[in-house]
Amino acid sequence: MTTDIELQVNGERWEVRVGDDDLLLDVLRELGHTSVREGCGVGACGACTVLADGHSVSSCLARAVRYDGVAITTADGLPENDDVVEEFVAARAMQCGYCIPGFVLMGHELLAENPDATTAEIDAHLEGNICRCGTYLEIRTALQNVVARRRADREDREKTVKESA
Amino acid sequence: MSVDTRSAVSAGTEPEPRAVGERWARVDARAKVRGELHYAADEALRRCLDVVVTRSTRPHAAIESIDVARATRVDGVVDVVTGAQLHEILGDAIFTGPAFADQPCLAVGKVRYVGEPVAAVIARGHDAARAGAEEVAVDYRELAAIHDVDAAVLGAPFVHDELRPSAVFGDLAHLRGIRDTNVNYEYVLRHGEPAEPPPGSTTVAHEFWCPPTHHVPIELPFTAAWRDGDRLEILSTTQTPSYVRQSVADLLGIPLGRVRVRSAPLGGSFGAKMYDRLEPLAAALAWTRRTAVRIAVSREEAFLLTTRHGAAVTGSMTADADGNIVAADADVRYDTGAYADVGPRITAKSGMVASGPYRIAQAHVRSRCVYTNKPSAGPFRGFGVPQVTWSHETLVDELARARGEDPAAFRRRNLLREGDVSVVGTPMHSADFVGCLDAVTAALDWDSSIERPTGRFRRGRGVAVGIKAVLTPTISNAVLQLNQDASATLLISTVDMGQGSDTIMAQIAAESLCLPEGSVRVVTADTDVTPYDTITAGSRSTYHSGNAVRKAADAMRDKLIDIAAARFGVPATDVKLTGDGLVSTQTQESASIPELLHGHFGARGTTLTSEAEFRTQWQPYDKKTGRSPQVTEHWFAGAAAAQLTVDTMTGRVHVEHLAVAGDVGRAINPALVEQQLTGAAIMGLGHALFDQMVFDEGQIVNGTLLDYQLPSIHDVPDKVTPIVVENPHRTGPYGAKGVGETTIIPLAPAIANAVRDAVGVRITRLPLTSERILDALSEEDS
Repeated sequence: MTTDIELQVNGERWEVRVGDDDLLLDVLRELGHTSVREGCGVGACGACTVLADGHSVSSCLARAVRYDGVAITTADGLPENDDVVEEFVAARAMQCGYCIPGFVLMGHELLAENPDATTAEIDAHLEGNICRCGTYLEIRTALQNVVARRRADREDREKTVKESA
Repeated sequence: MSVDTRSAVSAGTEPEPRAVGERWARVDARAKVRGELHYAADEALRRCLDVVVTRSTRPHAAIESIDVARATRVDGVVDVVTGAQLHEILGDAIFTGPAFADQPCLAVGKVRYVGEPVAAVIARGHDAARAGAEEVAVDYRELAAIHDVDAAVLGAPFVHDELRPSAVFGDLAHLRGIRDTNVNYEYVLRHGEPAEPPPGSTTVAHEFWCPPTHHVPIELPFTAAWRDGDRLEILSTTQTPSYVRQSVADLLGIPLGRVRVRSAPLGGSFGAKMYDRLEPLAAALAWTRRTAVRIAVSREEAFLLTTRHGAAVTGSMTADADGNIVAADADVRYDTGAYADVGPRITAKSGMVASGPYRIAQAHVRSRCVYTNKPSAGPFRGFGVPQVTWSHETLVDELARARGEDPAAFRRRNLLREGDVSVVGTPMHSADFVGCLDAVTAALDWDSSIERPTGRFRRGRGVAVGIKAVLTPTISNAVLQLNQDASATLLISTVDMGQGSDTIMAQIAAESLCLPEGSVRVVTADTDVTPYDTITAGSRSTYHSGNAVRKAADAMRDKLIDIAAARFGVPATDVKLTGDGLVSTQTQESASIPELLHGHFGARGTTLTSEAEFRTQWQPYDKKTGRSPQVTEHWFAGAAAAQLTVDTMTGRVHVEHLAVAGDVGRAINPALVEQQLTGAAIMGLGHALFDQMVFDEGQIVNGTLLDYQLPSIHDVPDKVTPIVVENPHRTGPYGAKGVGETTIIPLAPAIANAVRDAVGVRITRLPLTSERILDALSEEDS
């Protein structure tokens, strides 16, 4: 059967009629979010990763009908000055680029939950994402740099608060 | 040696901005990170019908009948097409391939591997096509199948009734019509006279095996094709748009000008997306059914489209009492599966280097390409060379150990030097094996001893060297348009699949024209627009397309200088191109490029065009000796060294430090070179430790990403040191050569040699799984 759902993608609201078996992956791509990509179809490579209310989801395994009213984030919808994107670019964390949006979103999820993620925690969080070009070292560096950058920003803010107090 | 590193001469004292040798960001870096770069399947297309194929469930069988009745009744299915139907319309043209014309886009009369396309279901929507494909009923009459390469060498059953080399290649013509064999090509190398080993010499011999592996680019293969009047247009994930245009023109019997092939940025490929993949079927269906079709395959299907060759090697090597390698012998059998693809070329190209990059008085190689009832094997990063490097770098290591010598020192004494003639007869240039070996061993501090715990965890170090010849002869072309505002548009058919060719080519063009970063746009390959290029493969683009681009850019610079000379009223020899534009050294009169072109054309928005071609030549190898004084345009030299621990309880290997080096001639962009060195090494680490396709009676048993293991972030060594070695090539663009394959070649033996060093067992079958290491350890104990 079909169901009318409201998808919120990167803050945009869409009214979509979906079949029970329609994958979130396909619906998002139809809406133009081609940063969401099929790599394996079994949730084993991470190329189709999106954030649903901030939590990572393999959209190749997700039925769209279950995401009524859920806030979806895709890499192409991140703000222009997104710090994870900036650090990926600076660290040259891309070769063919196909898998990278998935890594970017996994990084966002991790650092939202754990702003001081260690290298081991970064690796553990990214273990389900495959970069066949072998860009793992650059990806890890990018996320380490986001941790450092956010920490420095936090300390700056705390300093400012203290000084103004 | 002196190398021309600068074409444009600075007029002032300020150093000009450089492009070559700079770490420019990839032209598409931000778009890739944000996911905004469009790959083939992301493009908006005209409305296409979806195609899903029904695949053979038998490794070798005659097709008695195909019942499509149930499939055509599936909601949304509009047609079901069989190989027999296509054969009736297109004849034997439906058999295609880059060396042999042996592979039909849909099976005709017979299937030769599990997974071979048998019927194509065309439907409105992918789900309908898939449902239809499951309803096609094929009645098979089973034939005896052959799965093992060494059994296939010996004789029946035969995968093909007779050999069908492509009519295009004269050097394969003698194979046409040969019957009763599974060996479709044999290369023999004979160098020096066989002799009794001298007194005091040492000989080692082993049997080796490399299993088939899969490329697994994360982007899945995709092809769309449609008929546009009397033309056929294709959009495809392909490394070889020029090849595909010719192949499709031959298939349909129409002129090249009526076929348009577009590629797109590829989400990785590594050899998987080249020559004939989905394109012949898409073209045949679109053309004969006069419609638009799209084929998007699943990961499970992608595993069946092509593989890396499994290879068996029987090898031996002898050193004399002084420690000089005096003889090497290799018998190589490449398992090319059911269709030859480019296997015969791999067989020859890898056979040439099967004894390694060493000075050897006497070498004998027999390299054969063998049909079996498995998915067709084709090109894979390294083009068959990693499989023979696995054998020669193991043998060299064992030879050193048998002599009680340090494996690095033993190699260093025997390695080929600049000007040395290899066993294949072609001299070495810009291939610094010793420099690469020294670089990786220095990175590991090889000469100082390491801590060697004697408990559960054992530490060891290993090294290996690799050699590969670049594909020769080949052709590249470039067309450069300099826009009136001093931006540029570069038309080439090189496909950027992650190696960064768009960035490299922009840098080469910018260097000659003194243009800043970001000013050169590289057009994505489109045979209606971009000129012929043999292929994007075999690490050939930086050298070949790079040379064409450089020549086109130099021609552009000359045009600008001529226009400026006329404007300034001075001889052309007095005009220089600088970062600020054109200047007369005589009168100091100057004009920026926008001013110059605006004055020249009298209009804004105009373009000035230049073009160039670059070709390489070879001398075909002698049929009896396999030797040639110019078998290749140049050589790739690389080395890898690893320090690792082996857990003797679990058999698990942990790589502490991996150093890899490649002689790239000159790095156009050192950052991109380092990524290629590291990326190929990580892929090679997978091949060393776990990566393999497992077959059971022709049926792949690990053909999903749940089952097929690939290197993850946990498999990255604690430390990776990529080292760029630069010995400029005399005819490379600014001295440059390619790098994409260099470090995958010696990777697996470097790991195995380190395992040998750590725990004393020699494993000659890849991959070095925990199980295999434990088995070897317990065999050692008993």
